[in-house]
Amino acid sequence: MNLDLIKFIPWLPALAAVLCGLCCTKKALRCLAAPICILSIASGFVIAFLHRGGVPPGGAVVPFFEWINIGGFSANFSYFIDPLTLIMLFVVCGIGTLVAWYAAFYMKGDKGYARFFTFVSLFIFAMTNLVMADNLVLLYLGWEGVGLCSYLLIGYYYNKPSAVAAAKKAFIVNRIGDLGFALGIFLVYQTFGTVSLREAIIAAEHVSEPSTAVTLIPFLLMLGAFGKSAQLPLYVWLPDAMEGPTPVSALIHAATMVTAGVYMIARLLPIFVLSPYALPVVAVVGGLTAVFAATIALCQYDIKRIYAYSTISQLGYMFLGVGALSTVGGVFHLFTHAFFKALLFLTAGSVMHALAGQLDLRKMSGLRTKMPVTCWLMFVGCLALAGFPLTAGFFSKDMILAAVMEKGLGEHGQPLFLALGILGLFTAFLTAFYTFRLWFRVFMGPEQYEMGEEHHGAEEHGHDHGHGEDAKPQAASDIKVEHHHDAHEMPLLMNLPLIVLAAGAIAAGYWAEHSGWIESMVESSTAAVHGGESAHAAELFGYHLHTAMMVISSAISILGIALAAYFHWLNRPAADAAARQYKSIVTLLNNKYYVDEINDAAIVTPLRTKGEIFFAIDRLIIDALVTLVGLVPRALGIGARRLQTGALQGYGLGMACGAAVLLLLVLFVAN
Amino acid sequence: MNMAEKIAGVWPEIALLLGAALCLLVGLARSVAIRRFTGWIAAASLLVAGWIVAAQVCNAGGVIGLTPYIKLAVVAVGLILLMVAAAVPVQLKMTRDIEAGREPFEPGLVIRGEFFAFFLFSLTGVMLTADASDLVWLFLALELTSLPTYVMVATSRDRVEAQESGVKYFFLGAMAAAVFLYGFALIYGATGQTSFSLIVDAANQQIAAQGRISPLLTTGIVLSLLGVAFKIAAVPMHFYAADVYQGATTAVTAFLAFVPKTAGFVALIALLGLLPDGYVPPAITWLLWIMAALTMTVGNVLGLMQSNVKRVLAYSSIAHSGYMLVGLLALHGSGDALGNGTAAILFYLVAYGLATIGAFAVLGSLQARGEEAETFDDISGLVRTHPVLAGVMLLSVLSLLGLPPMIGFLGKIYLFGSAIQHGFVGLVVIAVLNSAVSAVYYLRIASACFFGDSEGHTVSTPGISRPLAAGIAAVAALILGFAGGRLVSTARDAGGFPTGRNDVVTTPSQPPAATTASR
Repeated sequence: MNLDLIKFIPWLPALAAVLCGLCCTKKALRCLAAPICILSIASGFVIAFLHRGGVPPGGAVVPFFEWINIGGFSANFSYFIDPLTLIMLFVVCGIGTLVAWYAAFYMKGDKGYARFFTFVSLFIFAMTNLVMADNLVLLYLGWEGVGLCSYLLIGYYYNKPSAVAAAKKAFIVNRIGDLGFALGIFLVYQTFGTVSLREAIIAAEHVSEPSTAVTLIPFLLMLGAFGKSAQLPLYVWLPDAMEGPTPVSALIHAATMVTAGVYMIARLLPIFVLSPYALPVVAVVGGLTAVFAATIALCQYDIKRIYAYSTISQLGYMFLGVGALSTVGGVFHLFTHAFFKALLFLTAGSVMHALAGQLDLRKMSGLRTKMPVTCWLMFVGCLALAGFPLTAGFFSKDMILAAVMEKGLGEHGQPLFLALGILGLFTAFLTAFYTFRLWFRVFMGPEQYEMGEEHHGAEEHGHDHGHGEDAKPQAASDIKVEHHHDAHEMPLLMNLPLIVLAAGAIAAGYWAEHSGWIESMVESSTAAVHGGESAHAAELFGYHLHTAMMVISSAISILGIALAAYFHWLNRPAADAAARQYKSIVTLLNNKYYVDEINDAAIVTPLRTKGEIFFAIDRLIIDALVTLVGLVPRALGIGARRLQTGALQGYGLGMACGAAVLLLLVLFVAN
Repeated sequence: MNMAEKIAGVWPEIALLLGAALCLLVGLARSVAIRRFTGWIAAASLLVAGWIVAAQVCNAGGVIGLTPYIKLAVVAVGLILLMVAAAVPVQLKMTRDIEAGREPFEPGLVIRGEFFAFFLFSLTGVMLTADASDLVWLFLALELTSLPTYVMVATSRDRVEAQESGVKYFFLGAMAAAVFLYGFALIYGATGQTSFSLIVDAANQQIAAQGRISPLLTTGIVLSLLGVAFKIAAVPMHFYAADVYQGATTAVTAFLAFVPKTAGFVALIALLGLLPDGYVPPAITWLLWIMAALTMTVGNVLGLMQSNVKRVLAYSSIAHSGYMLVGLLALHGSGDALGNGTAAILFYLVAYGLATIGAFAVLGSLQARGEEAETFDDISGLVRTHPVLAGVMLLSVLSLLGLPPMIGFLGKIYLFGSAIQHGFVGLVVIAVLNSAVSAVYYLRIASACFFGDSEGHTVSTPGISRPLAAGIAAVAALILGFAGGRLVSTARDAGGFPTGRNDVVTTPSQPPAATTASR
């Protein structure tokens, strides 16, 4: 199959971004933005789909155009296509199309309708460049591009201070990671003499005795991955990023952009194995993040934040998988997670839409009769997230845990991985519990709810519910007058993409694993793990490890769901009693281990003080210096002004003297 | 090369000259409706010239040598400049009075014909400069470039400042012409020749006889370079720039910032081509080194202190001449894109031209209190009243600053990269520091546009062509920043033939210049 079409995948959304940008200028054109955006992303998906079988083994480079070509350094707009890229393209364009479809209805009536789709198109452009890049410079360009779009979309409601602050936080935290990433790229170029992915990977595979610089590269690149994929300690921006519109949370902050770190490590696996400590560090960070974020999710009340912490936790799983050298598992979980997490966010968006921006768990209950479709769609998503047997999340999570346990219990069993495996199982239990805590709270029990303070057409999404009463609709003039509404089901067209996602959340796991698709795809890409995996499969309790893990994690997930059902549906007072008993723990978790406060005290405040000191110095010294420097020409000017008619002669004299001095200088000094 | 061949090469210039003559004629027409055609005639003759150059390029099988490259660039950028300048005659009170019927028609007072004719004459001069193979030709071509601009500056505005700066520009320009003409005379005296190729032969003989070229020839070339430095506004011939750029109407300023500068760099490249291949006397290396360092530093430091955006951009234009002078030091280089100073300069001329024309065109599209916008106050908060123009301004200054992914970034990389390959590390350090300093005033322009408070007195000038030209220039600067590969390879092909001698120059060995400069 001809690969020429591939290069249109990023550029159709780029074109769409320009067109949507033009739509911003005229009110009548605004409604065109959504179809343009959806069409461009969908055609990207179709192109990727057409190539599903046509990618040569080992990948192919599709040159697009020359960008930088200086001496030995070349970084062009060329695209590298291999099965791993295809998986990412399916996720990005597929989920992108569905989310954009949903957003076309969700964002209706918003002032920035066209602006929203401009940014979404731009995001898809950057994200596809990221996953298709054939060199690290282009990858970095896409990496920064998605960061920029994420910043723009988090701060979409720019007259809401909390949204602007969240956007800034995301931007700054990501810069820290990106600094490491950029240094890593420099070091790759310095050691391997190329930034081309393929050449760097081949060079890395031929390194026999890694030098210090080479072993440093993975750690620098890792930093970038942890920033973008919200891992410890750089995860703090993701929960706040929920200030953006919900479709954005679904697309960027759950399904696609945040998985870029996992993709990058999988893609550059041969470089990461150069250091014996790199992948274990990835695994440890992933495992710790998974359990850490899951505990926080237990005691949050804001639906979107619960899902945000759950995203961080699931990303932790992916890193755990990749770190345990199970790139298949990591990428598989990335793939299935995209379905169910997008589904969960979008259904949360539906709830929010129906309840006029209400996101507080404590203020809603028993919505199943009001919103039956949303209720069962979210149920499907929750099952998959909780790893209920035979759902998509079950298969992918299981593959990761089995791989980790195998490293822990196999021939050369490493206790570290055994611990991480147990940690992973514990996280799976927490996940099942907090997921269904949310679902039972929202949809089961007695029907009672409070409407939020936002109305369709003026979605300001003020959901700072720690002090929810303060949130006032900011653009009062935009509220459609007398538009009273009660909780209601979404229209069918809006639910259509959710049904597709739900189908994926159920079936994608079984299909991808049992047809061998995911494994063959990943194993024939650069993320393939070469050699050395022992054929001898470990055993647990006398069973084949894989089977044993399946049973254990099924049991754990069902146990979590059952406990959640008891505490949050059947016997809610018991939950309150338990919460009172362990008040200190609950407060600690509800305040997210006070990490934001600690950061504020330890980093932000000192930096701000330092900044103020610098500012004062600047005012006192630099300004004075600049004024002084500015005074000299001014003084000269005053002198010159006295000879008003002499300006021309003055210039002439200056030219003549200058030329003469230079002439004499070069002729007599230089010769 | 005989006369017939020579004439075959200058068909584009002939087309422009015919167009200019037609402009003069039509500009005298009694009917306003016919006079309005002058601008279109100018555009048509540019297109015809462009078509002829394109045909010549196709015949030759590519852009071979600097001549077709410069001609193509002049046509392309000339069309943008024409869009920027199209409204200049109409803005004059005299024209408006006559065309509104308030004043009787007086052939001597209508300016449309003259303005566009001078516009085309000047562009013809640049093209002829690129054609030059003889000192006399070079002199005439350079003067043909400059003389029309003096008139354009003086008549471009109703204000006395324009006439003042036109007169200043004329006298100082004449003085500079005297300097380089003196240089040409010395070159002739040292070699007995005016033809470039014969001068090179004579210089080769001098090297064969004495191991170096005669001091008289060196002095001649140094004086010529110093005189031509006026066209590019390099220190010490830069004094006029800020005053003249400020005095002229903004559209003409944009013209000044690109056209004479291009002619100047082409002439400088041609003059350095008089040296035997691979041989640069230390005096000339020193001269270029000092001029480059001083020009960019003076341009940037003075640019920091201006309150008038036009003056800031004037000093920025001086600074950019300094950057391009760096490329002159690495003139002879390998066929590689990096390392060939000529290619780097050719590329940078386009990069700089697009960005600076974009910035000036934005200023020209705005009016404050009935005058053209020129201070920081005038563009303050532009994004709220004219978001598109503010965006164009942002793209333009970012490109001038050399920030990726704009074309200016690539231009700087090539320019400085070629100098590094020739061992001028110290100069490149100075250049990079200067680029950093320049960020202060470029970002000041951008932040005035985006974060300043609008006083609401800035309105756009009527007519779409100027903002459109600004938009085209800025978008081109952005797109070429990504897709400049083709332009780079064209510049590289063009730069492989650094002189107007129209013969193939083989790759010279590493010039001894590098050792001198690193002292």
